[in-house]
Amino acid sequence: MRKLLILAVPLALMASPAFAQSATGTVSIDGSVAGRCLFTTPSATISLGELALGGAGGTAGKLDTTKVDGQTRTLVGWCNSSAATMTVTTTELTNVASAATGFDNRVDYTATAVANAVNANDSSLTPASGTASAVGLFTGNIVVTLSASSTPNSALLVAGTYTGKVEVTLSPTV
Amino acid sequence: MKRIGQILLLALAALPAPALAQSATATGTVGVGGQVAPVCILGTPNPAVINLGTLANTSGARVGRIVTFSEQNVTLPSSFCNFAGSQLTVQATALLSTDDTTPPAGFARAVNYTASASGWAASNATVTTTALADGTAATATGTGSVQPLPKLADLLVTLSDFTVTGDAILVAGNYSGTIVVTLGPAAIP
Repeated sequence: MRKLLILAVPLALMASPAFAQSATGTVSIDGSVAGRCLFTTPSATISLGELALGGAGGTAGKLDTTKVDGQTRTLVGWCNSSAATMTVTTTELTNVASAATGFDNRVDYTATAVANAVNANDSSLTPASGTASAVGLFTGNIVVTLSASSTPNSALLVAGTYTGKVEVTLSPTV
Repeated sequence: MKRIGQILLLALAALPAPALAQSATATGTVGVGGQVAPVCILGTPNPAVINLGTLANTSGARVGRIVTFSEQNVTLPSSFCNFAGSQLTVQATALLSTDDTTPPAGFARAVNYTASASGWAASNATVTTTALADGTAATATGTGSVQPLPKLADLLVTLSDFTVTGDAILVAGNYSGTIVVTLGPAAIP
């Protein structure tokens, strides 16, 4: 009977690992990045100089389209959303001086913006903005180019200062 | 109830996402500007030269004295000023004999006339030369009224009323005169 007790002690020692069992606690971490677009170079200026043709011929005093067409400036920005879009809104060049018969005080044009190899454009001939183009996720240049300049009546331009603008809107979602 | 209100306030404060979405759109602007200088252009005169032919009668009661001429017209098509406040001026020089020797009494070497430029403003630019028989004081200037708007028009210059001071006998020879039309900014009063 005394021998049986000795055997029982080792069995009890072998059972001790069950009392030191590991435990795991979990801290979940999450976050989000909102869709966003930003211009890091948000503005530029195109100075067209003298808009009217010189000389004394039949076209003297009318719009010199070479002064407008092909003018380009570069903005810089980014969008972090694959659903980002780009829209161009043009405002025609206008002169506050009144026009008269045979004269124009407005210059229309088309502006095209290229970002991430995607074009968006708008003509100032119509008041609405251009169609939004899916520009996607990108960072880099937004190149704005003017083209297709014209005056309403192909008439003489009234003397004075002409101002207009091109707005490029980057939106992270459709 | 007050406690519930506090909880709602906390929940609203913990939702920053809508504020971020509103500022997510970006706009870049390219300003475009230019100017047009004020200019006036006169069309090419048509005809550029008026040849009156023989100035003096060769027979009859007025032999040697000036012929009665009809009006002579010159057009300057598509003339314009692209600004408000322009004015037309005519400077006329009497027809003078190329021989500038002072003529004897009863003779003259100058033919006067009236030049009027119309088609620009409310009143025409009109001038009548008053050269003396010896050709002095041959040039005169007339100015029209101010055109208050940019204007594009065909100008008409009319020459009329050819006369000789004292209706003297014209010295033989070739005669020439000029009319200078100027379109430009109105003179500052």
